[in-house]
Amino acid sequence: MSSTDMKIRDVLTEHGRLPVEVETLSDTDDLYESGLTSHASVNVMLALEDTFDIEFPDSLLRKGTFESVAAIRAALASLGVSVS
Amino acid sequence: MKVLVGMDIQPIHEVEASLTNFGARYGRLIYTAHELRDCGANARSATKLAERFAAKEAVLKILDLGDTVPPWRFIEVKEGSSGGPEIALHSSAADLAQRQGIQNFTVSLSHAGGVATAAVVAEVMSETEEPRS
Repeated sequence: MSSTDMKIRDVLTEHGRLPVEVETLSDTDDLYESGLTSHASVNVMLALEDTFDIEFPDSLLRKGTFESVAAIRAALASLGVSVS
Repeated sequence: MKVLVGMDIQPIHEVEASLTNFGARYGRLIYTAHELRDCGANARSATKLAERFAAKEAVLKILDLGDTVPPWRFIEVKEGSSGGPEIALHSSAADLAQRQGIQNFTVSLSHAGGVATAAVVAEVMSETEEPRS
């Protein structure tokens, strides 16, 4: 697992308020189906901004951006974060 | 005329935690300057803000979003002329509602037991109806 993926999962653990253990989720599991609420996704987004020193533009503030670890990784990559 | 209903609940302690963890960044992302002014920065802020977040989510449940999700701050809860809360839509949220013929939003806010709730009702205008002023 890359350090980026570990950081994403740490953020989800701390701010996602998921009713399941984040480590049990695959990269493509649907986070909303796993219990991520809209309000928790706001916290995840703000924590990702702090962790990766980025800012999500309005264009990325949509449900699909945070629907899975893989989707979050792709969004971070589009903002210039190294995801390798 | 068809009526649409949206409802949402929001635990107040989650809003308190967001204010603690992210402060003004959280506020500016979700709420309008008007809402932040109305709710104030005191112990009751989290309850009022949680009610407003629930209202915004309730409105989003009424709109047919597709890929277009308006930012939360484009859905505003403000005090109406009667003193009760009213919904005001701005920018892309207003455009979306207009395209879908959705108008006359009515909102009710409440809280108890650490949870804030909002119920929103709106009318859908048929193609043969004239919009109300």
